Amino acid sequence: MEHYFRHEYGRLVAVLVRRVGLRHLEAVEDAVQGALTTALTAWVASGIPDNSGAWLYRVAHNSLLGVLRKDEGRQQILDSAAGPLLDDGEEPVSPVFAGEVRDELLRMLFVCCNETIPQESRLVLALKTLCGFSIGEIAFRLFTTEANVYKRLARARNRLRLGEVDLETPPVELFCSRLPSVHAVIYLLFNEGYLSTHTAHAIRAELCEEAIRLGTLLATHPASAAPTTFALLALMHLHAARLASRRDATGGLLLLEEQDRTLWDGEHLHQGAAWLARSAHGDTFTRFHAEAGIAAEHCFAPSFADTRWNAIAELYAMLERIDPSPLHTLNRAVALAEGQGPEVGLASLDGVVPPAWLDGHYLWDAVLADLHRRVGNAAAAERHREHALAAAPSTAVRQLLERRLTKTAP
Amino acid sequence: MSKRRYLVLFRNRPTGGQPGASPEQMQQMFAAYNVWKEQFKDAILDMGDKLRSEGRVVTASGVADGPFVEAKEVVGGYMIVSAENYDGAVEVVRACPAVHAPGVSLEIREMTGAKM
Repeated sequence: MEHYFRHEYGRLVAVLVRRVGLRHLEAVEDAVQGALTTALTAWVASGIPDNSGAWLYRVAHNSLLGVLRKDEGRQQILDSAAGPLLDDGEEPVSPVFAGEVRDELLRMLFVCCNETIPQESRLVLALKTLCGFSIGEIAFRLFTTEANVYKRLARARNRLRLGEVDLETPPVELFCSRLPSVHAVIYLLFNEGYLSTHTAHAIRAELCEEAIRLGTLLATHPASAAPTTFALLALMHLHAARLASRRDATGGLLLLEEQDRTLWDGEHLHQGAAWLARSAHGDTFTRFHAEAGIAAEHCFAPSFADTRWNAIAELYAMLERIDPSPLHTLNRAVALAEGQGPEVGLASLDGVVPPAWLDGHYLWDAVLADLHRRVGNAAAAERHREHALAAAPSTAVRQLLERRLTKTAP
Repeated sequence: MSKRRYLVLFRNRPTGGQPGASPEQMQQMFAAYNVWKEQFKDAILDMGDKLRSEGRVVTASGVADGPFVEAKEVVGGYMIVSAENYDGAVEVVRACPAVHAPGVSLEIREMTGAKM
């Protein structure tokens, strides 16, 4: 029953949009919202019906039919495109054909990831239509205003209304060229939860779980079951396994070496390992493969000291080649410092000029402060430490830096 | 001691385009209602129903159509509870999750007919 209303919202929107067309998305969402409201009253009064999904479908379908019929301007469209609406309102998709529901959800996910929609709008559209979050809930989770979420959503809906694409909802298989965009949106959704500074664990975990739910949908459908999808899903599971241990009881951030490894979630670790194994087929090696590989090295190391740092440094080098970023260079230096000594780590950054966005970013200075301190360059270490503390984006990060960077040299 | 019956009217102030409860909030309300219903199962005689917003008003001079959009409050639902007195009825109604919904007030009126 957990999140039943929210997930039913996503299912019903996807199924009904398929039947009446994407142009009626808002009417569909209103009808589904109304059906859930009706259910709330009716189910409190007389209990949850045996087939609650079909019950909800019937109520939403009938109210949608009423609204669309009233709208005379759309009568013709209705007659020509929505023949199935004139049935008796029985849900055409019985649980026996759960695969079809999966098709509709997946199709909706691909619709949300239409490249003509700006990326931040794709994320919001997916959260609204597929995950069943309200505008207020999305704003709260993404640290933005309701007005901003509304604007992003309106932009997405306008694109869908204007677009010639997707209105006829082609078979799922034809969407495969959009797979990279779908991966990007799912990973964005995951990171909104994983990197969130919300102190409540439940709020962060919820977005991560939604991303994993959509990723699993993708990975278990023949049209999108590809090694890259498996690698993304592995990566999310391996990160999610460590989510609860990243913070102490007061919400303060914990370093990897400070985390209690017994808190890591065994089920996520198991799933992560299984999907990582499946991702190793074919000849593609993507950033998700590299990142999942790095996460796996951390997850399955017996301790911080016994981590295979050289393997991690090698994976960061591969990541740099696939997706060049000075952040990967920086992470590689950290891994080299653990595996081969701080001198080697520091040397790997020789001649690396950080781009403007990273120069002055706390991560850059924090790593340099740490490496300089460990090789005994006290003055340079202090200079970078001050820069890092000044640039810390939050109290939690500043506290972590203070703890990490003031340790006396071993 | 004999119990009295009370009609509870749910009054809604139009929320002026404010969005209703989200699915997640509805789920929480559903759970809260079930707890409340169980807690007061002896006092709740009839869970009643929600009322649609459109309607008809009949007077000697004729029949007028709703919805009554100009009204500040509309009756949105009802239920019937039993209690020994108003204090008892208020206790049941105050614990009802609907009390916390925005723009909702609950009016309790004793029914004059046969006592139980």
